[in-house]
Amino acid sequence: MNAPVLEIEGLDVFAAGADGPRQLVFGSTLSVGRGEAVGLVGESGSGKTLTVRAVAGLLPDGFTTSGTIRIDGRDLGAMSGRELRDVRARRLGMVFQTPRAHLNPLRTIGDFMTEALVHVADVKPDAAAKRAMDLLDEVGITDPARRMLQHPAELSGGLLQRVMIAATLAMDPDLLLADEITTALDVTTQEEVMAVIADLRAHRELSLLFITHDLALAGAVCDRVNVMQHGRIVETLRAATMRQDARGDYTRVLMSASLDEAPPIEADAPASHPIMTLANLRKAYQVRGANGRRETLVAVDDVSMELAPGGSLGIVGESGSGKSTTARLLLGLERADGGTITVDGEDWSVPARRGAERRRRAKIAQMVFQDPYQSLDRRQTVRQCLVEAVRVHRPRDAKVAVEARVAELMSQVRLDTSLLDSRPRALSGGQRQRVAIARALAADPVLLVLDEAVSALDVTTQVEILTLLDSIRRETGVALLMITHDLTVIRRLCDQVVVMRQGRIEERGTAAQILDDPSAEYTRLLLDSIPREGWTPRRRRLGRTQSLPTATRSSAMVPDA
Amino acid sequence: MSVAQIAQGAVPAGARRAAKRDWTFVVALAVLAVVVIVAVAGPWLAPYDPYELYVGPVNSAPSAAHLFGADDLGRDILSRVLVGAGASVFAPVVVVLLSTLLGVGLALAAAWFGGWVSGGIARLVDVIFAIPGLVIAVLAVTLFGKGLVAPVVALAIAYVPVVGRLTRTAASRELGKPYIAALRVQGVSSLAICFRHLVPAMIPIVAAQMAVGFGYAMLDLAAISFLGLGQQPPAPDWGSMISSGQASILAGAPEQSIFPAILVVVTVLAVGIVGARVTVWAEEKER
Amino acid sequence: MNTLTRMLLGRLGGLLLTLLLASIVIYSAVLLTGDPIAALAGGAKPTPELIAEIRAEYHLDDPVWQRYWEWLTGAIQGDFGRSFVYKTAVTTLVAPRFAITLQLVLLTVVLILVFGVGSGILAATRGRAVDRAVATATSLGMALPTFVVAILLIWIFAKSLGWFPVYGEGDGVWDRLWHLVLPAISLAVLFIAYISRVTRSALVAQLHSEHVDTAKVRGIPRRRVFGAHVFRNASPQILAIAGTTIAGLFAASAIAEVAFGLGGIGSLLVQAAARADLPVVQIVSLLLVTIFVVLNAAADLVSALIDPTSVEGGALA
Repeated sequence: MNAPVLEIEGLDVFAAGADGPRQLVFGSTLSVGRGEAVGLVGESGSGKTLTVRAVAGLLPDGFTTSGTIRIDGRDLGAMSGRELRDVRARRLGMVFQTPRAHLNPLRTIGDFMTEALVHVADVKPDAAAKRAMDLLDEVGITDPARRMLQHPAELSGGLLQRVMIAATLAMDPDLLLADEITTALDVTTQEEVMAVIADLRAHRELSLLFITHDLALAGAVCDRVNVMQHGRIVETLRAATMRQDARGDYTRVLMSASLDEAPPIEADAPASHPIMTLANLRKAYQVRGANGRRETLVAVDDVSMELAPGGSLGIVGESGSGKSTTARLLLGLERADGGTITVDGEDWSVPARRGAERRRRAKIAQMVFQDPYQSLDRRQTVRQCLVEAVRVHRPRDAKVAVEARVAELMSQVRLDTSLLDSRPRALSGGQRQRVAIARALAADPVLLVLDEAVSALDVTTQVEILTLLDSIRRETGVALLMITHDLTVIRRLCDQVVVMRQGRIEERGTAAQILDDPSAEYTRLLLDSIPREGWTPRRRRLGRTQSLPTATRSSAMVPDA
Repeated sequence: MSVAQIAQGAVPAGARRAAKRDWTFVVALAVLAVVVIVAVAGPWLAPYDPYELYVGPVNSAPSAAHLFGADDLGRDILSRVLVGAGASVFAPVVVVLLSTLLGVGLALAAAWFGGWVSGGIARLVDVIFAIPGLVIAVLAVTLFGKGLVAPVVALAIAYVPVVGRLTRTAASRELGKPYIAALRVQGVSSLAICFRHLVPAMIPIVAAQMAVGFGYAMLDLAAISFLGLGQQPPAPDWGSMISSGQASILAGAPEQSIFPAILVVVTVLAVGIVGARVTVWAEEKER
Repeated sequence: MNTLTRMLLGRLGGLLLTLLLASIVIYSAVLLTGDPIAALAGGAKPTPELIAEIRAEYHLDDPVWQRYWEWLTGAIQGDFGRSFVYKTAVTTLVAPRFAITLQLVLLTVVLILVFGVGSGILAATRGRAVDRAVATATSLGMALPTFVVAILLIWIFAKSLGWFPVYGEGDGVWDRLWHLVLPAISLAVLFIAYISRVTRSALVAQLHSEHVDTAKVRGIPRRRVFGAHVFRNASPQILAIAGTTIAGLFAASAIAEVAFGLGGIGSLLVQAAARADLPVVQIVSLLLVTIFVVLNAAADLVSALIDPTSVEGGALA
């Protein structure tokens, strides 16, 4: 093997700060050999994205670096601006997390595909167009001629990500930089995109630097994995043997979080009266379709389910499955078109209008939202937030009693009372979500709805919050309804599971049945798509598109071909 | 950590540092303080009676006796500028207060009642927006006579669409945020959501809009006075002084127009700098 | 019927409705005074003969809706009524003056677009020093209203240096242009500063956008990145705001016209207002509103044409 395609040696990255530069990456060193796939794994703030952006020349204004970056043995620091641009254009391809933001919305897919060929490699436009169509075909996009004329807004996220990949291939790069390219995608779409990447690597001599927060995914698609924490690469492992070789505590934590195969929670004996019953729930929206016409999108279609007091039910589904809409209907944030909602023996089918009725329902059911930063008022301190939540139900309590209740809530979510006077901005993601949970518990509810409540958090924080929720359930006897796209979350928290797709229930059962012995084809597909040891992504596209068309249909997205 | 987050985190520190050494902001605040003092105390500061004719030589240059010179009727320019400051500064304040009251009121009414009330308000605002501010002012003067009252009311109405739309957009953006849904689920009353959460969120945005609006109101009112439709002679006002000094310029004595013009420019410039700072503050609050 | 046609028809309907409502406001505002005869008579003391004449001319004995309808249909057919101050048909007052206003506005538009957009591009692309210099200049420019620039120009270029004429419109193409240079500059300065800022911030937003990162990492030449991505994507926004600004110039030109003694419709409007000549004020207001609304709609339309995604459903492509 000759010189590595990419060598990074002692890379430091500094941000411009108020009191001089602030160091964010410390002596990053890694290399990617020819044809090799190398992972760079870390949580948010670990410096992994900055490292790859330094290679691509995309650091924000005011950022500085030291150390050496070599591509094909040539030092980037010693090159002129023109040479740099040329090396990046011809040797590197980069794919980003959010393809929709990274494509010019005003230009067609065809413009995007041919731009580098025409303006960098001086290929004639019609030859470039022909090559672009071949590349779109290579990444599995059907009807490329039609796609070339479309704008990004007309394609789904998974399709756009394939367009991005195809476009980087136009210049036959040696190295593909992939920055969290599947994080914004559904798990089944993630598998498809990863399968495309694996195919390309098999057919071309393409090296890969794969940045992700998902250690299991990196382990499955890479030859070697670098683990990064707080701006430093803490460990470099061979992917095939990483479970055995891992030495660092942090790596082990990451592994236990993402490769969790603990046995599912056993279901308790079903109680006689469910705390919550949904019967034949239906909700439809008027949306504007691809051609500007109004269409009816049935978000929730004939959905029925029950939850036992003190039980924990998981609703699993990909985007567009109707799982979040179901939760919003339950809590009266939307009005159902049909069906009945019964909670604690009362009919909740129609959202509460009057304040007193809303307060009464709030005492019974509470909700924790996906993004705690968004769901807390950024102007309120933790104390103000919790006092407000307590006061709703005890308007006449003495100040001391309220303060005592706030302290009790803080200890329930294992937060130190010294944080009471902080604002959300000063808290970490995990702390914010604990505050949101404490706020929900203030009413002492019997039902707690968790809408993707850990999806926005880092894996290690996810584990902490899930453990916390499980112990709160055991301590207080509150019933949990967990809405999630992530089956591993279900494994940690739920005893009953409902799998939803396109507004309908695909399968239901105990966690053990669903996770270990699913009967629906779709549930099996979801489970198979989760990266784990020995997993290889498969391209199921042809068989799948007929049976499982992409469900989301809004003005921004159109079903895959 | 995404690069956008890093960049965001870096901004407030940078802005704070900029504020510390930003002497233009300090100077602008000082200028505004002086302008406000002059606007309030002008009549007592004036060395001469601003209406008295021939206290100095006609169209004379600045001198020890008349620091800004004397105008085409021999009146002391400094005295007229000082006395005119009141109308020039407080009339735009009234415009801004009235338009904010009307605009925010209509926006809240539209957001609160929704339905046909909201539709009707939107249509009304469209119609007002279709008539340029100067045209509304001219129409008002034609019907109600010259002077400051008609233009002030007319401009306040003309500014309503801008204030109203801005408030409406900001309010619906705020109401769409998940924390509002979270408050609803908690059972917090609509009134409490409005006054404990929505209103505090809107204050920085409305304040920034008011600062910017003051600059525009000052220029528009001065223009209306310049056109001879606002403050009527012999009462002084910076806009009308600039206009009545035009003949003196051709006679080689620009003082009568130049001094009030400088005051208009300096005041608006200071307001612009302060307004920009308030806007930055509002944007920081947004994060 | 495709999305674009439907959007156009919708806009046209909204435009006509807005104009209709605005004309009602302009016409019926006189009712607010409580004494339409005094308002219509202008400054003149209403003698019994004049009152009779006004009553006859304005059919004041007819119901107000009928009067409004006759006024509006007359205006649409070019009959703008009579001025009691000028004792002549309003049409003969407006027509020749409109040409001068139009020429002044066109010259101003050229200045605004060249210097406003130009300096905005420089500020966004030529580094910190240029950006700061342009920012300082635009802060000052935003505080320089037409009437202040006008008296400065008259003092410096017309009086002291004697390079330009002070008042009047001039005859012939070049003489007319010569006379319009200073008024156009005075009208343009504040808007140049404004458009410069709008251009800069629209460009900077695009420069920091993620799709521009993509273009950079693909090694697309800088000129191409700027032209095809940065400026291209910022242009609908710049155009929309420039459109509103230009639409407003027809009214704002009144100040420059008065300062430089130009006989345009703006100065006609101001003179009419000063003499309380309501028929003239009403018609000129209606004309200015129509121009403002139509130009705004045109700017919206052009913005939509260059931004296919702004049309719902993206079906324009």
